[in-house]
Amino acid sequence: METISRPVVVKRMPERMNLKQARKFLKEVQPFLNSDRPQVVFDMSQVRHLDAAGIDVLLQCMREAVKRDGDLKLAALSPQSAVVLELTRTGRLFEIYESSTAAVKSFSSFLPNALRQLEPQLSQGVVPMFAPQAVDANANDDGSGASLAA
Amino acid sequence: MDIRAILLVGGVAGEPAGANERISGVPIAYLDSLGVSVVERVLRRLRRFGICTTTLISDAGEDTALPNPAEFHPRVHPVPATGDDFWDAAEDTFQRYAAEGADLVVALRVGPYAEVDYDEMIQHHLDKRCIISMAVDSENSSLELFVLDPAGRFDARELFHNHLLRIRRQCEPFAVKGYVNRLRNVADLRHLAVDGLMARNDVRPDAMETKPGVFVGRGARIHRLARVVAPAFIGARARVHASALITRGSVLEHHAEVDCGTVVENSTLLPFTRLGAGLDVVHSVVGFRRLAHLTRNTEVEITDAKLVDMLPLSPVSRLAGSTAALFAFLPRQIYRCFRALSHRENAADNPECAEPANALLDAPALESPASGMESSEFPANLAVMRRYGDH
Repeated sequence: METISRPVVVKRMPERMNLKQARKFLKEVQPFLNSDRPQVVFDMSQVRHLDAAGIDVLLQCMREAVKRDGDLKLAALSPQSAVVLELTRTGRLFEIYESSTAAVKSFSSFLPNALRQLEPQLSQGVVPMFAPQAVDANANDDGSGASLAA
Repeated sequence: MDIRAILLVGGVAGEPAGANERISGVPIAYLDSLGVSVVERVLRRLRRFGICTTTLISDAGEDTALPNPAEFHPRVHPVPATGDDFWDAAEDTFQRYAAEGADLVVALRVGPYAEVDYDEMIQHHLDKRCIISMAVDSENSSLELFVLDPAGRFDARELFHNHLLRIRRQCEPFAVKGYVNRLRNVADLRHLAVDGLMARNDVRPDAMETKPGVFVGRGARIHRLARVVAPAFIGARARVHASALITRGSVLEHHAEVDCGTVVENSTLLPFTRLGAGLDVVHSVVGFRRLAHLTRNTEVEITDAKLVDMLPLSPVSRLAGSTAALFAFLPRQIYRCFRALSHRENAADNPECAEPANALLDAPALESPASGMESSEFPANLAVMRRYGDH
């Protein structure tokens, strides 16, 4: 049986995440979150101002993703966003990666995919070492905000 | 001996105004450290060594959260001066002191905080027959503290024109053996407070020690469910709400407020700072709606009042604010109360809920005669420690 890798959506967060921007951002990401088992990465490298509304949206997105058996990961945290996530104790709720690429890779190196990779070798009785699956994820290079990596 | 002082606050050499030794435009020297501002501590130290007449020249302006000049000692003369006027004012003050017949003039900038033995320094100045004596730290770098002879007017002019960086005639410098803190940034201010709590310097907390290592200022309110772990300083009229935790040398300056469930660890809250509920403030200095994270070396502006806010400086505004909050709180509570009552009524209307309880529940819990006897034998306020055994 062929297993197809699901796409990973990388979305760059805006510079300001106040109430107005947060609502707008939520509208933008809602379609991705409503898909089956969404795999979403928020690139926070541009975030300079993050307030309670922004944190609320992050949690809301996380809830939506988990509800549909998916996951939301954060990547490339700016110093400001890292401080606010620590301050509000929300940082510990998310998987956080140094870069969007690392975050995207983390989805594919998760156990089911890793096992799929190893399946032929296991059938031959070979027990190889675990290694993360390489994913070509060129997140946000076009500057449009969202990008897909399969 | 008539010794007078010129205390300079600001005038950072080689830096644009506001870039250094300031937090949100307020000189660090004016900020409190364990209940008393650094400037006030320097003035007290000068007074302790008999140097009472002081001119305080400051370039801080008037729109910042500064201490009122009237709060200083009556013999402290505050002079606001900005830009080029700052150093001119220092020179003019020196000339005035010389004309009035002062024996020696001490000029210092805060800037660096140094615990100097002024008696020793003046003795050194007299012994070496210097016109200007400079104080240096253990690494032989200037502490921007000088003793000047009133006769050396040209030397003084040279000194002030060069922003205390160069002197005309070299003399053997005086090495300060006491505590020194450069107070360049918020991290230094935090170190000063921690060193004070650890008794590594003369910066004593201006508060009562309620438990070993826990200092609580006048009018501070700590909720009984809050936890304060030593060493810690809670300044005057500060408030710590329920379930908050203040730990690892944290300092809450006067009128600071920590809301429910917030953890303050190894951090300083500057005066009038309010922290919202359920936060984690670690290795930081928070104030003026900014949070400076010391380990991440990042300063973040926080505009969301739910996270970090600043209380009004004027007591009238604070009173008005708390009255408004009370009036907003009361109707909400009354509404909640009525809502809760209506929910209970609904539950009683439900036939399943209103059904009489199981018959077993109606029966007395202890029906045996022995238990009845025991209950009549022993008064209700007597605890039975041991009921069974050989003895």
